[in-house]
Amino acid sequence: MIRKKILLLGDFSVGKTSLVRRYVDGAFDDKYLTTIGVKISKKLLTLNGEEYEMLIWDVEGSTPSKKISLGYYRGASGAIFVTDVNRQETLDSLADHKEIFLNENPDAAYVVAYNKADMLSEVAKEKIELKDDTFLTSAKDDNNVEALFIRLMEKMVL
Amino acid sequence: MKNIQIILNAILSKDIFEYLTFDQNFEVVDSSAGLVKYLEKSPKVGSDILDFLPELVGSEEEIQEIFSKPHLNYVLESVYKNDYYVNISIEHYDVDRLLVLIHDITDVTLTQQQLLQYSNESILINNTLQNILDSQNALLFVTHNNIITYTNEQFMHYFGVKRMKDLQRKNLKIYEYFDSSLKSYEALYERVNSKEEYIVINKDTFILQATIVESSHTLFTLTKVTKLSNEMQQDTLTGAYKKSYFNTQLKRLINNKEEGIVVVLDLDDFKLINDTYGHQAGDDILKAFVKLIQDNIRGNDIFARWGGEEFLLLLEHTNIEHALKKLESLRTIIDRYTFKHVGHMTASFGVACKEEDDDMHSLLQRADQALYQAKDKGKNCIVFKKA
Ligand SMILES: Nc1nc2c(ncn2[C@@H]2O[C@H](COP(=O)(O)OP(=O)(O)OP(=O)(O)O)[C@@H](O)[C@H]2O)c(=O)[nH]1
Ligand SMILES: [Mg+2]
Repeated sequence: MIRKKILLLGDFSVGKTSLVRRYVDGAFDDKYLTTIGVKISKKLLTLNGEEYEMLIWDVEGSTPSKKISLGYYRGASGAIFVTDVNRQETLDSLADHKEIFLNENPDAAYVVAYNKADMLSEVAKEKIELKDDTFLTSAKDDNNVEALFIRLMEKMVL
Repeated sequence: MKNIQIILNAILSKDIFEYLTFDQNFEVVDSSAGLVKYLEKSPKVGSDILDFLPELVGSEEEIQEIFSKPHLNYVLESVYKNDYYVNISIEHYDVDRLLVLIHDITDVTLTQQQLLQYSNESILINNTLQNILDSQNALLFVTHNNIITYTNEQFMHYFGVKRMKDLQRKNLKIYEYFDSSLKSYEALYERVNSKEEYIVINKDTFILQATIVESSHTLFTLTKVTKLSNEMQQDTLTGAYKKSYFNTQLKRLINNKEEGIVVVLDLDDFKLINDTYGHQAGDDILKAFVKLIQDNIRGNDIFARWGGEEFLLLLEHTNIEHALKKLESLRTIIDRYTFKHVGHMTASFGVACKEEDDDMHSLLQRADQALYQAKDKGKNCIVFKKA
């Protein structure tokens, strides 16, 4: 079995913990309990006949003024950058999150989640431009969450 | 020896440590009895250490190095494991073994978590509030201890500032617009207090409402009502204000003993244009000139037509240095603009700053004299005449 470390990174309250919870436990909670430090969850999956164990690091929210310990980034094969599609400032800081992470792990793969898409109207949804490997997700409605993780895994190992 | 010292120190300082050692194959050699509470199952001798400490996955090479380099170590802080928060550190034990120390930091981390939660939630509520304020058409501002602490974008835009800091530096006293004898927002609230009152700010009339939000903050709402009456105050050809309106504003400023700067503007050689190109061309140029100025002044500056090609500008809440800079930029804008029919045009500016013993007549006269000096100097320039 091959083990791979991935990180969820983004501003606070964008839904990092909720995405992991949805993917790993199939559950969702409306209540906000901010993450401090890091919590690691495991998820087994099979890709092309090979079995992998994904070690999912749910890291506390960070911003340019509140950085997280660089130690968390070590040895990661991939990252999911999470934003709250309803909060512009969380989209604005995407570039910073990418830069810090790729600086530590230049060869790592990544995908982007525009989360809380369930709060967008249909009209607003259509206006959003999605670049490659960017997903409109909802941890609440279980929309695109699995696809997000699988896509990252594919980019990492295929 | 060094590690035993650490454990001893920790016990003495009542810190709680558990430990585990593992060999070059990353297999468990031994562990302390209390370790199991942090793990899903108890670590058997010979089992893969990554089964118990998956947080080390990805860092195997870095950790491997510690076997041969005793001075290295590996530290991972604030990891949530089995309802506890721990720091994990890995150190050289001997050539065949590394020591993992698990330091329980649950109590202090839970306190930090609560603080972080509080701070994050406050930021979110703050953002939501700001979005609500910005979604309103009216100008909104909130005061606390006689200082404006929040406003919406519309309010800032109206008063020509971009950030809260600039607004506070400006020290706007909205209550004085309502009644120049008022001394505070509290006094303004007492006067308005759940009624609707009219308030005139510069050229605009607003309906003013006030509400207490929480016991210490007051929300003021300014809803503009003057579109029609403003139109009656405007010069029909150009859309600039009429001289009569300028006069009432200047009178208010003098009566209330406020600061202000008066500018007389004149389009150079305009008579010649009228004679050469006809009155229609003249009208077009005046309209274009007024639009240029209006587009480049603040919402609360008052720009009026005095008559013919002479105009007036009243600038408040600024100082002479800033005003002169602003006027220089207006002069350049006109100088660079290509007017219909004629192309290049210029304007001259006469400037006077209100002094304590000025009345309307003396102030306007000084600005007008400054304009004559500007014309004498060869036009297309700005002259400021001190009292
Ligand atoms: N409507 C909606 N709410 C969501 C979604 N995902 C998360 N939330 C809510 O958003 C809030 C924050 O979610 P978390 O998952 O704790 O966010 P986080 O990024 O882990 O936050 P930090 O740990 O503080 O950085 C919670 O109240 C969640 O219930 C979503 O897809 N839709
Ligand atoms: Mg979280």
